[in-house]
Amino acid sequence: MTSQIEIKNVTFQYPGAEHPVLNNINLSIEKGDFIAILGGNGSGKSTMCKLLNGLIPHYYVGDMSGEVTVNGYKTTDYKVADLSKHVGYVYQDFENQIVSPRVLEDASFAPLHYGLPDFHERGLQALKLVGLEEQKDAFIWQLSGGQKHLLALASVLSLNPDIIIIDEPVAQLDPHHAKDIYDILTELNEVHDKTIIVIEHHTEFVASYAKKVVLMDQGTIHFSLPVTEALNQVDTLLAHQIYPPQVTQVARETGMDGKLPVTLEEGLTHFSTAEPKESTYISSREQKQAIVSYEDVDFAYKTITREKKQVLHEIDCTIHEGDYIALVGNNGAGKSSFMRLMTGLVKAATGEVTVDGENTRDVPPEYLAEKVTYIHQNPEQMFIEDCVEKDVAFFMKSRKVKDYQTKVDKLLKQFELTELADRDSRLLSGGQQRRASLAIGVGMNPEIMLLDEPTANLDIATRKHITKLLDDLKRQLKAVVIATHDMQLASEFANRIIVMHEGRIIHDGDRVSVFQNYRLLEKAGLMPPQVFSLTKSLGWEEPAYTVQEFIERYQREEVDNGVYA
Amino acid sequence: MEYTRKFADKLSVEQVKIELLNTAYGNGDTFLAKLDPRTLFIWYLFFGIIPWFIHDVRVLIGMCLFMMVTTYMAKISPLIIFILCLGLLGQGGYLLVVSLFFGGNWTTMLPLLVLTVKLSTISLASISVFCSMNPDKLSDGLLKIKVPGQVSFSIAYGYRMLPTLIEEYHHVFQSFRLRGKTPEKHGFLYIRSIAYFVKIAMLSFYPLLLSTAKSARTTVEALETKGSMYGFNHPEVKKLKLASLKMKRQDYLFLLGSAIYVIALFILL
Repeated sequence: MTSQIEIKNVTFQYPGAEHPVLNNINLSIEKGDFIAILGGNGSGKSTMCKLLNGLIPHYYVGDMSGEVTVNGYKTTDYKVADLSKHVGYVYQDFENQIVSPRVLEDASFAPLHYGLPDFHERGLQALKLVGLEEQKDAFIWQLSGGQKHLLALASVLSLNPDIIIIDEPVAQLDPHHAKDIYDILTELNEVHDKTIIVIEHHTEFVASYAKKVVLMDQGTIHFSLPVTEALNQVDTLLAHQIYPPQVTQVARETGMDGKLPVTLEEGLTHFSTAEPKESTYISSREQKQAIVSYEDVDFAYKTITREKKQVLHEIDCTIHEGDYIALVGNNGAGKSSFMRLMTGLVKAATGEVTVDGENTRDVPPEYLAEKVTYIHQNPEQMFIEDCVEKDVAFFMKSRKVKDYQTKVDKLLKQFELTELADRDSRLLSGGQQRRASLAIGVGMNPEIMLLDEPTANLDIATRKHITKLLDDLKRQLKAVVIATHDMQLASEFANRIIVMHEGRIIHDGDRVSVFQNYRLLEKAGLMPPQVFSLTKSLGWEEPAYTVQEFIERYQREEVDNGVYA
Repeated sequence: MEYTRKFADKLSVEQVKIELLNTAYGNGDTFLAKLDPRTLFIWYLFFGIIPWFIHDVRVLIGMCLFMMVTTYMAKISPLIIFILCLGLLGQGGYLLVVSLFFGGNWTTMLPLLVLTVKLSTISLASISVFCSMNPDKLSDGLLKIKVPGQVSFSIAYGYRMLPTLIEEYHHVFQSFRLRGKTPEKHGFLYIRSIAYFVKIAMLSFYPLLLSTAKSARTTVEALETKGSMYGFNHPEVKKLKLASLKMKRQDYLFLLGSAIYVIALFILL
């Protein structure tokens, strides 16, 4: 069987760059494969994918040597237009990839512009494949983030390419929508025999869906292996700042020999069902002084069609000093609106939101900013100056804080930004941007910090760094609210979890009361951490929530039976 | 304070976005919107130019009334009408004051009124036509009358980007508010507060430009892979694209009806 994609000795250097991004790469991919590309930020993953549809070298004129063949076409000899019929590419910032105002128009844009008479049918067919046919006449700005992503996928499917590349498909999605998109990719792979290539940080998805893993490191291919084998190389993965699935991690940490499990199902047969040690977790919440209170709050905004859309219904909630809250729920459950009400940027339709005894309706956001800081999901939206240092200083400067320069320097140091101080924040990497946005937030010296998806879009090493920073912040702040899909973060960080669903608070408890409540998880579309599901299936009465906890509490049957005693 | 807040609510960035989008895309089901773009071009060619050369006040008023009817039929957003009236009144009023001040008298009024009627007629004609064509239709129409593909595509794409740009702007503006400081006192006639808002409204454009430049890169690459260059250079693509444009009976009837009305104006008045 000849390979569908053949990359031979390719080296590529962007014009003006000091080092090549790709360094003598060799890779062959068979038709019908499902490949996950792993690698830290900046390891050359996206650049390699751009080789395949000819954007390199036709669009990016850098120094390229070596040869790429796709479906028998040498990419240097054919145009992007020809190659696009074989390779479809869905970008990480897929929203910029959508060029027409209506859904069906965008889906049929490519076939229309390549002069295919059945462009309309092709567009419809593609929409059907991703499950968007009902929205075909909608305007793109009426779609949710997840739907836009599906549309971007449909738009490349309409040319019926054999190969589909998708860059971080689930970065901004809740677990259920994430699963949906992977199920669609699997169908394309199995039923329609497409080759799928994903760039992915979430190894738990990789384990369940991909067939093969390619690990990249600083412009080279470290290995290309079948998925189980690849994820079993725990040391290598960790060295490249990639975390294997939790199941694999705990199997390894508890000293399992031989082949390690990579999915939950595999995990179940590997671990003993012996009773674990007792949990030492105690919920450490004591009621202190209330800082924020919501009383019977409704919130609505006007949509494009001039209709009011109600996003929050009858919210009653009090946030106390010492609360570290994880706000969880599906995309569109109202988490962001809930937080933005505290900033004063938006006002409640009915009901009262009070911060420190002050009704948010009566004061401007500038005033509340001294107490409440809101960190955007997309850090870029917080950058209003032309370098990191000025951005951090902006708040203090406008309030004429004495000696602000020393404080700024200290913050830059705390968030490891000193070297980047005069770079434009927009041009930093994802992890650096996230740190910069946190530095800006802490610089405002707030009582409460609100964070919208602080760990989305990060590779795991950066994620770990950010979680550590967040943990340190607990000491500097009276309360923290994090809106997140990241249940690992929720169970490690929070002492209180609020579950939202369709604009209502449907549960207010902690990790025990949330994850133990099967119906609640189902209704709110939550997926507990893998290690929790594992211990639950193993029959632990008090399941473990984190890898660390599992390792501490897990005991092998032998020990119990006294074999080693 | 209460009134300023109510006014500010109406004037929010969000509201402007909604109005703009509705003006551009929201009128798809009116009679005018169902006509072929070419019909509207021809119609506009007449009513946008001819009024300049007509001096008979009665004919002008007749035409103006007709435009009012078409404007009503096109279901124009109240915001647009409001801006138009403001412009016309401002223009006419200013000329009137100047002419009275420099020794003119009430007889100066008449020619000024004629001018205002002319301007209104032409403006209303423009509004009826361009608000009835959504950007895609306009772009297809332009393509049909042999305007280069790049130009017509830019119009459609520009509108597609509009909400994204406004949203981005809104975010930046809010970030300024979340980190900035309002003046301690509003000042005489709110002058300080107004100055503060005007300042951040202007400053917000700079970050917007930078972030847009960044995201445009993906768009340009995507357009390349979606074959837009291929499309511009191949005539059969254009044919395919415009296959749905057709002059129908209602187009001819509309043109005929307009012509009869204008002729009647000249004969009867």
